[in-house]
Amino acid sequence: MDLIFDFLAQVQASSNYLARWDVVLALLVGSMGGVIIGAIPGVGPAVAIAILLPATFSMDPIVGLTVLLGIYGSSMYGGSIPAILINTPGTAVNALTTYDGYPMTTRGEARRALSLAYSSSFFGGLFSVMCLIFFAPVLAKVAPMFGSREIFLAALLGIILVVTAHRKHTLIAAAMACFGIWLNTIGLHSASYSKRYTFDQSWLSGGVNLIVVVLGLFALSQAFTLLHGDDEKVRLTRLKGSFFQGFRELARHPRIAGVSASFGVVMGMIPGVGEFTAQFMSYTYAQKSSKRPEDFGHGSSEGLIAAETANNAVPAAAMVPLLALGIPGEALTAMMLSVFYVHNVIPGPQLFQNDMDFVVALYLALLVLNVLVVVFLLVATNQLIKVVKIPNRFLGVCILILSFVGVYSLRNSLTDCIIAAGFGIFGFIMKRMQLPVVPIVLGMVLGGIMEVKLRSAMARVKSPLDFVDRPVAAILFGMIVLVLALHFRRVWLDYKERKKDEWQISHASTSFPAILSRRRNFILTERGKTLRAKRKTFSRRLTDKD
Amino acid sequence: MSDEISEHPDRPQRGQVLFAALFLICATLLIAALGDQTKWLKGKEFFAQPRFWPAIGVGGMVIFSALHFWHLPRKPRRLPRWMREADWLQWAESLFWAVLAIVLSLWLGPIAAAPIVFLVATIRVTWLYQHWTDRREAKIWASIFEWAAWFLAYVLLVPIIGYLPVTVAFTVLLTWRVGYRDRIMTISAVLFAIAVVVVFKSFLQVKIPGAALYEYLPGALRSFFILNF
Repeated sequence: MDLIFDFLAQVQASSNYLARWDVVLALLVGSMGGVIIGAIPGVGPAVAIAILLPATFSMDPIVGLTVLLGIYGSSMYGGSIPAILINTPGTAVNALTTYDGYPMTTRGEARRALSLAYSSSFFGGLFSVMCLIFFAPVLAKVAPMFGSREIFLAALLGIILVVTAHRKHTLIAAAMACFGIWLNTIGLHSASYSKRYTFDQSWLSGGVNLIVVVLGLFALSQAFTLLHGDDEKVRLTRLKGSFFQGFRELARHPRIAGVSASFGVVMGMIPGVGEFTAQFMSYTYAQKSSKRPEDFGHGSSEGLIAAETANNAVPAAAMVPLLALGIPGEALTAMMLSVFYVHNVIPGPQLFQNDMDFVVALYLALLVLNVLVVVFLLVATNQLIKVVKIPNRFLGVCILILSFVGVYSLRNSLTDCIIAAGFGIFGFIMKRMQLPVVPIVLGMVLGGIMEVKLRSAMARVKSPLDFVDRPVAAILFGMIVLVLALHFRRVWLDYKERKKDEWQISHASTSFPAILSRRRNFILTERGKTLRAKRKTFSRRLTDKD
Repeated sequence: MSDEISEHPDRPQRGQVLFAALFLICATLLIAALGDQTKWLKGKEFFAQPRFWPAIGVGGMVIFSALHFWHLPRKPRRLPRWMREADWLQWAESLFWAVLAIVLSLWLGPIAAAPIVFLVATIRVTWLYQHWTDRREAKIWASIFEWAAWFLAYVLLVPIIGYLPVTVAFTVLLTWRVGYRDRIMTISAVLFAIAVVVVFKSFLQVKIPGAALYEYLPGALRSFFILNF
């Protein structure tokens, strides 16, 4: 009971943050901008956040973060529009929406699909924010248990999860994470004042800026990809009627919506896991528990609900490791971390202890944001779908021009722009190869955290076992071991499966009777063929026509 | 002829070997520079050494990218018949590797020689597994330099001519270059460029310096342009 009263007092205190005109404006810009950005295939939230990051540095932390969070939280709403209407996901996480959304459109149920997507996204977003607002006091009690070694272990767990989450690309994902760790070490080592990998170049002694890398890898590479590619022909259907029916339909599937949203919350909180796993798990659950599993992938409303609810429950949950421990779980929250650092607000246990109002204000902002987005979508979907028609290469030009603002406004440095262009080309190549780039960004961020935390943690550790003698550290260590064990088990099973397949197609039995029997069959077949050919020549087959 | 080397369903095969090889070669060069570019300080504990994390980074890059390279589905180059049949050539190659490893480790020491031998071996293996689709893919990678050059030219010209004029000119030129040459697209490009400048420079006041050319503008107009455009 005390917790609830504490919480209500907190909400009252935090609402002061949100009652400012600049925060309200940021909410409006973030929500609408996010929806529009999400609705344009080719511009994801990563591109938009990367470009806007430097612009938010001059704002108040709550204002800047609200804009970025707005884009993050609302882009998936927008992303479902092209996924449903033209079978092209607006953002990467809407890929699963196309499975059931587009078949519904082909059946002439586009409006139903869109309204279902909106309502389930709304439910997912709301559910996760409510969960986290109620969790916040609990988190505030747990977060102080995280010392240096726990944060190091959590960061290590995050990096391992990011790598192992890229199934079939694990090795290259690990190489990229190590590349990120190495990139972060370039420059002057602050603890010993020694240069690392600067090659005696003055422009390298300051290190490689995370935002420059992010802009190159996400924004510039996307611009290059779009400029290189072709335009797609888009045909849109005009939608008539209201979008409210989805809420009624969603109410008929409370179990799937609830379970999917819970998957989203849990998976969002675990660093490195994110939307895809949450979606995959909730979609599989929905399919297995459905009365009509055969409809999945052919326009099943349950599948659409599972996919959209799960992915929208993630953004709020993904803020938990960032705010409570200072550990971002994915690329977007990694970018947001730099906003905190610029304003000297260090996320972590102290933030929860000293500045709880700020944390709750962020959650309330997310809550208001979801409402704003749904209202905006219910009113403006018909106008909004026109953005899908913007030609791809023109979009590439726009992103290129906007990337300049992002990189150049950071330090007005030509070197930064050259580095960003280099990473842009690298990102383009990675995109063409369909290799993962996110581990690079997380390697940079988590590598920096791990370096600092390991140094301070090892100062008080005498033997290796001391490192895991505290309960939270032991649990985290256990989780790392478990994740690695499960991963290697999966690798072993895949290997066995592959070998089995190879052997099955290799050759028939080489035993002597088998060879004889095959020889006999062959000869008989050949003899039959010759006989039939002979009869065909001498006596023509009788047919009705003759 | 199909583009794919094997029927791996998940990702395109063109260029994979080339990319993995280039990444591995760069990683090997970086690990060879580890001793030179980082310091090992006496009296400092192991985990606080400035060399510790770079070693983890480049070490991981080498190990994981080598394993990735090893696991790639690949097809060896079809050598001329005499090469395939000449036993002496295989003997000669084995001998070459042994001589190279021994000479280099005697000359530079085994630790410095290892990355060099590894590097040469990587280049040799890459040559062996090169596919013609890799070369075509490399040409596509190179074609992207054009857009990077546009971007860098834009960056170079902004401090000289000014954010607004260069943005408008570049957006229109690039739109023209990518093939949209009708009036609607040109007007959209101009409007977009103006909107970007107004939102970011005039409204959000991001840090983009006033251009050298603005200095020649008369009195009040000069400061207005430097501040807003």
